[in-house]
Amino acid sequence: MLDVRMRRRLDGFELDVAFQADEGRVVLFGPSGAGKSLTLQAITGVMRPDAGRVEVNGRLLFDGASGLNLPPQERRMGYVPQSYALFPHLTVQQNVAYGIQRLDAARRRALVQDMVELAGLQGLERRRPRELSGGQQQRVALARALASRPELLVLDEPFSNIDTGLRGTLRRELLDLQARSGITTLVVTHDLDDAFFLGSRIVVIDRGRVLQAGSREDIFYRPATRRVAEFVGTRNILRATVVESNSQRLLLDWQGRPLEADPLPLSQGQEVEICIRPTQVMIVRPDRLPHLPPPENPFCGTVVQEALQAEAYVLRFRLADSTAPYDLEIELPDYVYLRLGLDRKKDATISIHRSAMHVIPVAEVAGARCCPG
Amino acid sequence: MNEGTSPRRVAARAMLGALAPDRITFTLSALLLLIFLVLPVAAILVKVARATAPLDALGSSVVTEALRLSLVTSSISAAVAAVLGTPVAFLLARYRFPGRAVVDSLVDLPMVLPPAVAGLGLLMAFGRRGILGGALDVLGLELAFTTAAVVMAQTFVAAPFYIRSAKAGFEGVDRELERVSATLGSSRLRTFFRVTVPLAGPALMGGAVMAWARALGEFGATIMFAGNTIGRTQTMPLAIYIAFQNDLTASLVLAGILVVVSFAVLFTFKALLGRSPLGAAHA
Repeated sequence: MLDVRMRRRLDGFELDVAFQADEGRVVLFGPSGAGKSLTLQAITGVMRPDAGRVEVNGRLLFDGASGLNLPPQERRMGYVPQSYALFPHLTVQQNVAYGIQRLDAARRRALVQDMVELAGLQGLERRRPRELSGGQQQRVALARALASRPELLVLDEPFSNIDTGLRGTLRRELLDLQARSGITTLVVTHDLDDAFFLGSRIVVIDRGRVLQAGSREDIFYRPATRRVAEFVGTRNILRATVVESNSQRLLLDWQGRPLEADPLPLSQGQEVEICIRPTQVMIVRPDRLPHLPPPENPFCGTVVQEALQAEAYVLRFRLADSTAPYDLEIELPDYVYLRLGLDRKKDATISIHRSAMHVIPVAEVAGARCCPG
Repeated sequence: MNEGTSPRRVAARAMLGALAPDRITFTLSALLLLIFLVLPVAAILVKVARATAPLDALGSSVVTEALRLSLVTSSISAAVAAVLGTPVAFLLARYRFPGRAVVDSLVDLPMVLPPAVAGLGLLMAFGRRGILGGALDVLGLELAFTTAAVVMAQTFVAAPFYIRSAKAGFEGVDRELERVSATLGSSRLRTFFRVTVPLAGPALMGGAVMAWARALGEFGATIMFAGNTIGRTQTMPLAIYIAFQNDLTASLVLAGILVVVSFAVLFTFKALLGRSPLGAAHA
């Protein structure tokens, strides 16, 4: 259980964040300079907030009202910084044992051995940090942090020093390690993939404020504001107006085109933004069988630009009646692209499912709803 | 294995590279300075080797007393500089406080002052007629012209060398390591001794060795503040100077001993540092 509320004023920057989280993995997600690291420093006790309250697993670490501010060494945090900060003068074994010097020698040895095995570091015990790869260094830092059974494991940009190709493997390893240790984990990252993969709960931070805190699904598929939608890679954000709203459906006007969405209690004339992830736009098969129900929200148009990224195509699609450079971004696996014959024929019909649309009323874009507490 | 990468080819290319024009220029000018630095030292050793009965000088108690006194006082001075200089270096490296620039300059001052000025200053502060002389007299302490004065003179001129090096060493320690140490439950003091000091170790050791070397060579401040009493205040440099005035051979032998001892210490230190897990970057 993590309960953080704090304010800190710095030169030209004000941090004012609040969020709660239960067990599991919490991700602080936001662009560089958003205040993520500062938040983390306040939790580990390196930085003192001006006001607020920090509580971890029922233990009060900082309380501005009473002046309580535990020093880092009394907070029981397993901190893994971006650089890993392994002690270069100590071996792997000595690094892992650093936080458990109070145990007697036999128990310490046993625990170090456990941690070495947990982190898959067998055979490297006597190496020094500079003789290890980036991934191995990270595992040593994790083992060192976990050895003292911290209340909270805190990871700052865990994969920024790792080659892209290795990140997938290491993310899975981290997930596995966290699951086996059962320790609540707080990850700070600006990487969308990290956030999606590691966070069961995500706190989106920007310019010193929490924009939204919620489950991973909430953040990715139901962003509270346009800004959050942009942060989480919702590349299609359409502006529309409510034409009709009833218990069955929401009828929207998207630049003169009708668009049907799931019902929402909105009044006629309300301005909205529609968030659609590029992977959620369907392309209707040219040989679609006639007895199937008609596709939802169909539009004709042309692929005007395409880029192959790894094994997916990113298409820019312009509607037939449009004068814009393009109207939608569509992402689809390469084999689907080929099966649909898009390599030969650029004209297509697309369908936007009601369930693929997340509608945000524009009046709330200012973002009062998103901050809990 | 093709032609281009055969070991012989690689070696040949390396030699050609070594002979590139810029390298020649650098190597020649470096040689010039090296010769200039080495020649006087070598000259002393050559003259000692050619002297008739050089070992007679060793037998005299003047030489052994001076050598003993020099080694003892310079070691104490280096130790004092390290013990008292470490907190100063740490404060200067880590904290911003009012007057920091002034303190920083004061610490460096003895390095640029002529040793004669240092000696005069020490005498005016701690001598019998110095500003603290009266107070010391009440306590029954007389510092000037004692072995303690030798140590004071040496520490005064040598401490800045230690503090410079230690400060740079502390500045070079990654603060993140100290933060991590704290989150792992270590108090500030434990972090200091388990992380900061070991990591700044090569710089601290280097500073101590430089301070020791400077103390060993101290002459001007010592002769003014401590005098020139055999066995009590006559260190090697003083003995060399005195001997130079009536017995060149004895002077040469003393100088030769000082050269050999100094070189042995510096060389051993560099060799040890090169082997330590952190040393390579500092050596």
